[in-house]
Amino acid sequence: METNWAAEHLQVIRTLMERSAVYRRALAPVMILNGVLGTAGSIIALAVEIDTPRSFILYWVGVAILGLAGSFFLVRRQALKASEPFWSPPTRRVTQAMLPALAAGGIITGIAYATMGSPGIEAGLIRGVTASYVICMLWLPTIWIILYGCAFHAAGFFMPRGMKVFGWALILGGCALLAIGIPDRYHRLEHSHAIMGFFFGLLHLAYGTYLYFTEKRRNET
Amino acid sequence: MNPEPFLQLDRVIHEKGRLAIMSMLAASTELSFTEMRDALNMTDGNLTTHIRTLQETGYISVTKSFQNNRPLTTCSLTASGRKAFTSYINLLEKIIQQNKPK
Repeated sequence: METNWAAEHLQVIRTLMERSAVYRRALAPVMILNGVLGTAGSIIALAVEIDTPRSFILYWVGVAILGLAGSFFLVRRQALKASEPFWSPPTRRVTQAMLPALAAGGIITGIAYATMGSPGIEAGLIRGVTASYVICMLWLPTIWIILYGCAFHAAGFFMPRGMKVFGWALILGGCALLAIGIPDRYHRLEHSHAIMGFFFGLLHLAYGTYLYFTEKRRNET
Repeated sequence: MNPEPFLQLDRVIHEKGRLAIMSMLAASTELSFTEMRDALNMTDGNLTTHIRTLQETGYISVTKSFQNNRPLTTCSLTASGRKAFTSYINLLEKIIQQNKPK
C-alpha cells in the first residue's frame, strides 16, 4: 500500500518536472545566424547567377545544412556553458515535433531533384518555361516555407509562445505566395532567390532581433 | 516494515501543492507565478500561500520585477531547497525499495 503511494508520488513528480522543463535555450542567436545565412545566401545566389533548377536546389540545400550545423553548435555551446546536457528532454521534444515537417520537406526536395532531368518534365512547357523551372520558381520555395512554418508551429508547443506566431507567419506567407503566383514578367529564378532571402533571411533576422531584446530583458529580471 | 524513512519525510515538501511547486522548480532555472498557476491549475491565493511557506522555509527564492510595465514574480529553487527536494526523492525511493516483495 505504502509502496504504491510512494511510487505514485514519484510518478507525479516526474510528470511535473517534465512539464515544466520547456525549451529555454536562447533562440535569438540561432535565429540571427539563420537570418544572416538566408540573406547572404540570397544575395550571393543573385550575384553569382545560380540560374538552373538543379543548382537552385543544391545551393539552397547547402545553405540549409549550414544553418542546421550552425544552430546545432550554438545550442550545444549554450548547453555546455550552463553545464546541462545537450540532448535534454526539452531538446528531444522540440526535435521530435519539428522532424515530420522537415522530413517531408527533405523527401519532396529529393523527389523534385530526381525528376528534374526526366524528359517528361523537361519537355513540358508552362507559360513558355519548362516545368522544372516552375517547380523551382513557385512550388519548392513555397513548400519549403509552409513546411518550415509547420515545423516551427509544432515546436512552439514546447517553446515560448512567439514561436507559434512565427510558424503561422511562415505558413500564411507561403500560402499567400501560392495564391498570388508568379507574374509572367518574373519567370526567372532570381525571383525565387529573392523569396528565399525574404522568408529564410529577413524574417529570421527580424524575429531574431525581437528575441534578442525580449530574451535579454527576461534574463535581466 | 521500517517506519523510519516515512517519518523522515519533510512535512513542508510533503504537502501536495508544495510538492508540485518544488517539482516544477526543480526542472527549471526559474518559473513565473503565472506559469506555475496555469500549469498547476491553482488559484492565486492558494499558490501565494504555498509560495510564502516555501520561501519562509528557505526552499525557494522569489523575485519581483516589472516586464513591459507589468509586475512579474518569478520563483526559483534555493540550494537548500534543491537539497531538501533531493532528500525527499531519495526517501521515497527508499520506501519503495524497502517494501519491494523479495
